[in-house]
Amino acid sequence: MKRPRLEQYLMELILLALCVVFALTAPGFMRTRNLLNVMRNVALQGMIAFSMTAVIISGEIDLSVGSAVAFAGVIMAWLTQWFTSFGLPLAVGIPIAVILTLVASSVVGWTIAYMRNAFSVPTFITSLAYLTMLSGFANLITGGFPITSFPRWFNTLGGGSFLSVPVPALFLIVVFAAFEFIMNHTSFGRSIYAVGGNAEAARLNGINVKRVKYVLLSLTGCLAGVTGILVASQIMAGTPTVGRGWELQIISAVIIGGASLAGGAGRIRGTLIGIFFLGVIINGMTLLNISQYWQLVVRGALILIAILINNLRGLTGATRT
Amino acid sequence: MVLELKNLRKTYPGTVAVTDLSVRFEGGKVHAIVGKNGSGKSTAIKMVAGAVMPDRGSISLDDRPLHLGSTFDAIHQGIATVYQELSLFPDLSVAENICFHELPHRGVRVDWAATRRRALDVLRELDLEVDPDTRVDSLSVGWQQLVEISKAINHDLKVLILDEPTSALSKDEVDQLFRVVRRIRDRGVIVLYISHRLQELPAIADTVTVLRDGDLVGRRTMTETTLAQIVSMMFGDVEHVRMTPTIPEQAEVALEVRNLTRKPWFEDISFSLRAGEILGIAGMLGSGRTELLRSIFGADSFDSGTVLVSGKPIRRPTPARLKLYGLAYTPENRKTQGLIQIQTVQENLTLAGKQSLSRRGVRNRTLERAAAMQQVNDLSIKISSLDTVVETLSGGNQQKVVVGNWLNDHPRVVLFDEPSRGIDVDAKQQIFRIIWRLSDDGIASIIVSTELEELLEVCHRILVLRDGTLQQEIVPGTVSVEALYNACIGVAQ
Repeated sequence: MKRPRLEQYLMELILLALCVVFALTAPGFMRTRNLLNVMRNVALQGMIAFSMTAVIISGEIDLSVGSAVAFAGVIMAWLTQWFTSFGLPLAVGIPIAVILTLVASSVVGWTIAYMRNAFSVPTFITSLAYLTMLSGFANLITGGFPITSFPRWFNTLGGGSFLSVPVPALFLIVVFAAFEFIMNHTSFGRSIYAVGGNAEAARLNGINVKRVKYVLLSLTGCLAGVTGILVASQIMAGTPTVGRGWELQIISAVIIGGASLAGGAGRIRGTLIGIFFLGVIINGMTLLNISQYWQLVVRGALILIAILINNLRGLTGATRT
Repeated sequence: MVLELKNLRKTYPGTVAVTDLSVRFEGGKVHAIVGKNGSGKSTAIKMVAGAVMPDRGSISLDDRPLHLGSTFDAIHQGIATVYQELSLFPDLSVAENICFHELPHRGVRVDWAATRRRALDVLRELDLEVDPDTRVDSLSVGWQQLVEISKAINHDLKVLILDEPTSALSKDEVDQLFRVVRRIRDRGVIVLYISHRLQELPAIADTVTVLRDGDLVGRRTMTETTLAQIVSMMFGDVEHVRMTPTIPEQAEVALEVRNLTRKPWFEDISFSLRAGEILGIAGMLGSGRTELLRSIFGADSFDSGTVLVSGKPIRRPTPARLKLYGLAYTPENRKTQGLIQIQTVQENLTLAGKQSLSRRGVRNRTLERAAAMQQVNDLSIKISSLDTVVETLSGGNQQKVVVGNWLNDHPRVVLFDEPSRGIDVDAKQQIFRIIWRLSDDGIASIIVSTELEELLEVCHRILVLRDGTLQQEIVPGTVSVEALYNACIGVAQ
């Protein structure tokens, strides 16, 4: 059996050390409200990051998630507005709008897999195209302005708390648990690792490689949809400008968490550490009044440092070819 | 010009590849070098090409000893080798590829006009009509092979080694290749020609050198010998001990193939396989044997025909579906097709059978571990721990992991593609014993192999595949290896 060794928890220890440093230096860092705030902030990107981890482990990638978040929020707001114009009560219109938004978001993800499976278009290319296209659609639908069609109670989803825990954080916990279970305890999870490790061997082992890609990319689209709805609820509007640049922040978190861009290796738990790493650093530096520009430099450097540390402990194949 | 090999010896851990080889090759002739797998011909050639250092012995050209520390040395001594795997740059033009080793320069800039001229000279000399500006990847494999040879001509060529040059070529392309080889020979170059396709030798070879088990068996002038004689030199007199278990007369048909066709690989293949039966498919490289096996397993599509498992025709076959019907397939190339190299032994041993080791899609790690452990014990896989990464295992152990992985899925028919490639004698015997044990348990096997002695040793029945069609059925024990070999290459006795 594997013995737990100190270096296997190196990233966790560094994160802990970072928290201690901020607790001692940054005013208000350890306050419950601030910590809950960190959770709320990381929760939105976090959900997508878990799904992205699975996608990357399977050897694919989805660059469209940032625009997909904006697209979903806009669709949600627009549908709500449209239903209201028919005189449909909001209590009925909003749930239907949620379902339709999630279906639309999943279908978008599914088509990325379809291009891959049917025409061998790399997911990198299709999702890069979607990154631009979805942003365009979001702007077309809104005309560039926010749609504010939501009733006050809708804010609970993204802005509310349950037992003082922010609702998005609850979502994060559920999605984390679900992905931990899928990746480590299901036959499907094994298929994901096998497809990323060697797609041809996986196929010859009787694994339906195409199905794995359909499921994972649809799921990622769906979770981008969920996040888009939460963001819309938080800011009480459907806005085409949200989610800009998220795709790279999410992929950064996945890489910091130790997943290999070559596929086949990575952990959901690692990604959890990755998103908290980024969240804590931004929060701490903001509290310390460190300039936005320095924050960018530090966040970038963190990716490189994390890769070096992951290679050191020999966990990943981040640099494996 | 004379290339002389004197007392060459090369050993690898556990085996002697070349025992004590002395032979002379004169210029202006094509010298074929033949021998079955493991005869030492590849090692001998690699020593001349500078890719492998001999343990002792010497190689000399016109009584001048050559020091071949690397392939680079060999190239600069005028020894060029064209391997089966081509070393061209597909995105570059024919001219750039031909002149790649020494592109003409004017100052710091490449002189493209001179590059083109030089390439054109070489092509003209070989009587090859191809535009030097053509991109290499737009050429057929046969033409690419010719470009590769033209590239070798560019140097001060003394020895040209051709390693299985015709294995991927069509009939017309082979004829053209031979014309080029003869032109080069007529310039006085020493041509060493390695091929499995004995039937081509009368057309191209001037002499034939036969190796067996690392020793020189003999050398003949092509016009004074026959293919049958060469084959008997290759195999010698060997007795085969057969341990194949008998199969019950009334065993039901486990797998049936009806009129399976996939052009241009194979055509109208029909046979059936009873439970517990071990069926060999013998055929040379390019006979369509691997393609046939892959189509049966649903890994490649086919044009027409039917595969029936236990009497049921399989519609829209895929590996996933055939697995459900109890088929298993161990691929030819275990590294790229059989194993997930970055995963552990346990993971690789439980991949094919992962459905049966889980309940409603939820894994049972205790079961997985037990199943992996059982295969490690049954197949005597040598590992320090189940958590060892499979990449680090020896070829034989990796092959056993591939087999064990499928046994954990409890198949009814196992398709083995070259199960003994690249593994040592002990591991081979163990794989055969596994196949016999499966037979005892009523599990049928199909074995595709170039190792004809092995097929004669292991199988109940052997089908001979040549140029994509089934030629005949052979019952081991009634025929010699030579006869089987002759059937494979289409030479009458």
